[in-house]
Amino acid sequence: MEDEKLRIGVFVCDCGLNIAGTVDCEAVAKFAETLDDVEAVVRNKYTCADPGQNEIKKAIAEHKLNRVVVASCTPKIHEPTFRQCVADAGLNPYLFEMANLREQCSWVHQDEKEKATEKAKDLVKSAVARSRVLEPQIESEVAVTKAALVIGGGMAGIQAALDLADAGHKVYLVEKEPSIGGIMAALDKTYPTMDCSI
Amino acid sequence: MMDAGRHQNLTLLAYSEVEHVTGYIGNFNVKIRKKARYVNEDECTACADCVESCPVSVPDEYQQGFSSRKAIYIQLPQAVPSAYLIDMDNCLGNNPIACGKCKDACEKECIDFDMQDEIIDIEVGAIIVAAGMDVYDPSEMDEFGYRSYENVITSMEFERLICAGGPTEGHFVRPTDYKLPKRISFIQCVGSRSSKNGNKYCSNICCMNTIKDTLLLKDHYPDVQSKVFYIDIRAFGKGFEDLFMRSKESGVQYIRGIPGDVWEDPKTKNLLLSVEDTTIGKVQVHESDLVVLSVGVEPRKDMKKLQHLLTLSNSVDGFLLESHPKLKPVDAPTRGIFYAGCVESPKDIKDSVTQASAAAARASIILNAGKVEIEAITAIIDTDKCNYCGVCARVCPYNAITAPDRKSGVYPTIIQAACAGCGTCASECVQDAITMRHFKDDQIIAQVDAILEENNMDKIVAFACNWCSYAGGDLAGTSRLQYPTNVRLIRTMCSGRVDEKFIIHAFKKGAPLVLLSGCHFADCHYISAVTWTQRRVERLWNKLERLGIRPERLQLEWISAAEGQKFAKVMRELEEMRKKVTDKEVKETMEILAKDEEKAKAKKAKQAAAG
Amino acid sequence: MAEKAKFKCLRCGHEYEDKYTPKVPQERTCPKCLSNSVRRIEEKRKA
Repeated sequence: MEDEKLRIGVFVCDCGLNIAGTVDCEAVAKFAETLDDVEAVVRNKYTCADPGQNEIKKAIAEHKLNRVVVASCTPKIHEPTFRQCVADAGLNPYLFEMANLREQCSWVHQDEKEKATEKAKDLVKSAVARSRVLEPQIESEVAVTKAALVIGGGMAGIQAALDLADAGHKVYLVEKEPSIGGIMAALDKTYPTMDCSI
Repeated sequence: MMDAGRHQNLTLLAYSEVEHVTGYIGNFNVKIRKKARYVNEDECTACADCVESCPVSVPDEYQQGFSSRKAIYIQLPQAVPSAYLIDMDNCLGNNPIACGKCKDACEKECIDFDMQDEIIDIEVGAIIVAAGMDVYDPSEMDEFGYRSYENVITSMEFERLICAGGPTEGHFVRPTDYKLPKRISFIQCVGSRSSKNGNKYCSNICCMNTIKDTLLLKDHYPDVQSKVFYIDIRAFGKGFEDLFMRSKESGVQYIRGIPGDVWEDPKTKNLLLSVEDTTIGKVQVHESDLVVLSVGVEPRKDMKKLQHLLTLSNSVDGFLLESHPKLKPVDAPTRGIFYAGCVESPKDIKDSVTQASAAAARASIILNAGKVEIEAITAIIDTDKCNYCGVCARVCPYNAITAPDRKSGVYPTIIQAACAGCGTCASECVQDAITMRHFKDDQIIAQVDAILEENNMDKIVAFACNWCSYAGGDLAGTSRLQYPTNVRLIRTMCSGRVDEKFIIHAFKKGAPLVLLSGCHFADCHYISAVTWTQRRVERLWNKLERLGIRPERLQLEWISAAEGQKFAKVMRELEEMRKKVTDKEVKETMEILAKDEEKAKAKKAKQAAAG
Repeated sequence: MAEKAKFKCLRCGHEYEDKYTPKVPQERTCPKCLSNSVRRIEEKRKA
């Protein structure tokens, strides 16, 4: 695996006009083709939609891609989507990288189309550079002790503890005071129902 | 309350405190101290035979000090667990000469003066923090006369006075003459929404609580005249506006203005309130038989202790910080810990119950799954490089790294499930012995190189943490705030990941300006990691200056996920700074750093030769 | 505990005095330009 030749796929997303309205996506795609180790470049109208994701899966199979870079929106929205997508195509999800051309480029440089395009190229270049040195990762699992601790025996603690206990879990409810009830036990009637607190 | 006392899956540990917590999601080890009650909890039937024999009287906390209790007592008649306890601070003790009378009075022989605190160790997979809040104590402020005049009470005291189970059995009287007050004034926002006294935030519950109180009064005593002095009435919840309208229609007067001064008529003990009614702009004096201060809600006084126990951080208001204010309001930043109730923010009963059920559901997800996946962004240690210095263990905000022991040759170990991936350990390790999975040194350096390969003079290299400053950048985008195109962001999970060498590398490669940005101290998603970022930047400023590089070229900024405006402003300011950095200056920097690197290499080679 | 120290904003150049506790990192904001690039400037030891 270590010595395997790098085969990077770059997917440039128009996001309708959200990106393509400011950034020259065709120029970005052309630029991506010139980068070392890039085997395939695909432009999509919406990469996150099913047809876009299918293009990624298709390209992984066709070009035997071992790295995938999507140049679209912020990873905070679609990194999980695309990680799942490449995993479905048999690629380790940690061999995926994103370039944020929307939130941090097209949307904030709407009046500077040329400069925005230059920045977009840089962002793709940087993502491709990072992707070269990415490594596959395996998420580890830890076992869970099937019991819960609730700290505080006021209204909220009692409710949480009872819900968990009703769900069949072992629960420890710890209260500092000699009896539970918290502040609510000291109230007379409570709004909005105007009924008794105890 | 009763259900909680008898549910077969629920172990109730009252009069107990959590003393120590170790471990991580799925596997917390908790030490609990169950304090001695000196009365056998299982045997006591709450018959109260012991109470009469007790010669000690102290103010009853539950009744807000309006009545007294004995040293052997029960908090309230309906208490769960339904058992008495002895308050040892006030008990005379089991010395035949001193006392011990309760022991003789108890037929079931439940009283045991030799009872000891019990330490209970448990293992749990999830923790729900529902430690509650404190009620604001208005003693610190004097304008409303709480300390000076007996007929000025708090809303908590009001509750006990109107309650059938209270010290007056529900006959509402005022403290000075035990007569029904005919004119009652409520003052809102006491200890809330103030930059002077108490807290700046709105305590959420006090408006509705007062509305409820006015209706209770109307119900019990139709002739009583209530006035409410307020800034705004916030009746935003379901059914709240209805109650407000009912209160108004019943004749309660709502006056927009907070009294500037309250003083007592020494003869009648009535109170005089001078208020500017801001709807008409007139100052008026209102006479009242009783004043109720509608007090706010505060973080618990022992919050810091709780935070330390569970490695949690607080937001600026002092309440516990959520994993995400909108999308994960029930989760703590530490996985496996959840919040319920006022420990997270002031809230009423309905919201507390809602959040409690949500917290139970969130915890259930983990407990039902029986296992949890750890995102592969954790730290890994290469013990071949480790020199036992122990910095990693010291800086870890999660206590996820065990300290090394040089003498016995024990290396630090990183508990994968407890590691949240902030990278502070990797940045602080001078031996480069720690690797962050998916945010490795070479992966970040590759980005720096790619950015600066061409037209380096035009670019600002900016490091941004995933949770705050990168998200702030995204918000600038979503809000379409325009700023210059020259900045290139590199995302790390936390600003704590940004190693000194990344910044030096950027300057070596010709960066005119570098920005390091992260969360505000109060928002740091990795508890205290950001404080290490601050230290590192200060160290770097000194280093740059020593080398003859302007420290100004390394900029630092704390930008929250909500500060899109600030992000755009900073980017505009940085661009102005970048323009002033000359080609000559950058070239000089590159030369200086190249020389410094050679010097360091030579030193290392010399050391290796000597060693 | 708390003593005073001199600070300089590396954004706008503003210099000011503020409370300072040694070894306790604190979030600092320049009172003039609101930047967080605030550096403590040590008094020169040599006269």
